[in-house]
Amino acid sequence: MEPNPIEPAARNRRRTTYVLGGATLLFLGLAAAFLGDLWGHQEPRPNIPLVDRSFLESTPWRRTYSDLIRAKEDMSDFDCYGCHDKKKPLPLRFDEHNILVVPEEHKDIVMGHGTHNRNNLCYNCHNESNLLTFQVRDGRELKFADSTQLCGSCHGPNYRDWEAGAHGRINGFWNTALGEARKLDCANCHNPHAPRIPTREPAPGPHALRSVATHPIHSETTP
Amino acid sequence: MDRRSFLRSTAAFAGLSALAASLAPLRELSDFSSVEQFMQKYYKEMTPEEMNRVLRRITNEVEHQYGIRPHVRDLRPMDGVEFVYALNLTRCIGCRKCVHACVAENNQSRNPEIQYIRVLKMPHGSMDVEKGNHVYDDKEVPDKGFFYMPIQCQQCKNPPCVKVCPVNATWQEKDGITVIDYDWCIGCRYCEAACPYWARRFNFTKPEIPKDRLNPEMSYLGNRPRKQGVMEKCHFCIQRTRAGKYPACLEVCPVGARKFGNILDPESEISYILRTKRVFIQLKEEMGTSPRFFYYFDK
Repeated sequence: MEPNPIEPAARNRRRTTYVLGGATLLFLGLAAAFLGDLWGHQEPRPNIPLVDRSFLESTPWRRTYSDLIRAKEDMSDFDCYGCHDKKKPLPLRFDEHNILVVPEEHKDIVMGHGTHNRNNLCYNCHNESNLLTFQVRDGRELKFADSTQLCGSCHGPNYRDWEAGAHGRINGFWNTALGEARKLDCANCHNPHAPRIPTREPAPGPHALRSVATHPIHSETTP
Repeated sequence: MDRRSFLRSTAAFAGLSALAASLAPLRELSDFSSVEQFMQKYYKEMTPEEMNRVLRRITNEVEHQYGIRPHVRDLRPMDGVEFVYALNLTRCIGCRKCVHACVAENNQSRNPEIQYIRVLKMPHGSMDVEKGNHVYDDKEVPDKGFFYMPIQCQQCKNPPCVKVCPVNATWQEKDGITVIDYDWCIGCRYCEAACPYWARRFNFTKPEIPKDRLNPEMSYLGNRPRKQGVMEKCHFCIQRTRAGKYPACLEVCPVGARKFGNILDPESEISYILRTKRVFIQLKEEMGTSPRFFYYFDK
């Protein structure tokens, strides 16, 4: 057979050039495929709504009498003798089952103090001869601003824990040399007429990295 | 062509296409660290001038990204202070306010979600965490027959995460807080594997923080925004506690279940609790980590 007029070495060089050129083009094509996302793409992340700002607040549930005074609120609700008569203390009324009947004028007060509501007696705390003060079982009379002392007169262990900082909450600075600490009073969390803390809605739980629709969260325990 | 050329060109082609494939994830990397950050020194070796330069760099980066000029500090531990946390399991109602207050205070990613605190709903009668459920969605809490146990970094006295870090990017400071130098962390996640409490979180992507919820009071070791590929965890709100304030989780707890303070101060409430309360639980005590977190019951 007639030999190729081009030298074998040159022929080889040309073929190498073609192959390398083809490889380069293939590489650039692959690069374009990767950059252009031709196959396989990241699963879109599920949309996680931001938590409601109310869950970020450290405001106590309730305001005490002292808080209302400090905030210069309308204190006419505490003007007992605007309606009551100083010389005529009102007796408590009970129904046929011996349950306290809260008068219509005070129907916003729902009683629930003590196990089996055994402390539902207004005059256990309120002073019938002076409605602007509280009466303690040991004979003391307390101003409304000192209601914590009244709670502590019966709830000794909790009161001593509160004094030490173990019950309730203290906000602000743990190092009081650097700033002020504010210790919450009993009435900031507990409604004096129904002190048990009510149940409430929790903040939303954690969201999985992948969408729950395709990857449901299983829990071993199903409480 | 001859065999040698064919093999060479095939190998070259395979190598080049592998290079193209391996570079594909770079498209998802949205923030390249600047040269300055790359050349930054280890936290413990920085002079105060170098630290000031770093704080300025961070301030500018955050302002550039979020449009808010933050206040970034490097707070040092106080003398005579060792922090301890106590959690009253009789009081916790499982409302998760601590979880979200922590996220807001410490500029954690909202999507994908990073939350340092995980609240376990546990059935009464057992401290076995395997029985806990952290994805509860009760309509009202607390649910009868259960108690709630929030878990976060226990700042162990004998921390396994510090032991396994290959680059010493995490260590325990003298006030008890185990900290991370985010610019030194290489993201190998050994610490996440070593922690028995799953306290460590990894940034798989660049963290997503909404601009209107950014907390501008930041510290170098604490809540400055992290980058993709580094670990983070609860640091007892180091930007608050080293300034003398309570951590964010304690400030929002509506039932006062969380107690924090300096154990070296005999007058602190945390000393009172450890002296007077009866039952204390350190989670996974048998692991020998000596956590600074004490769970207790009031009754």
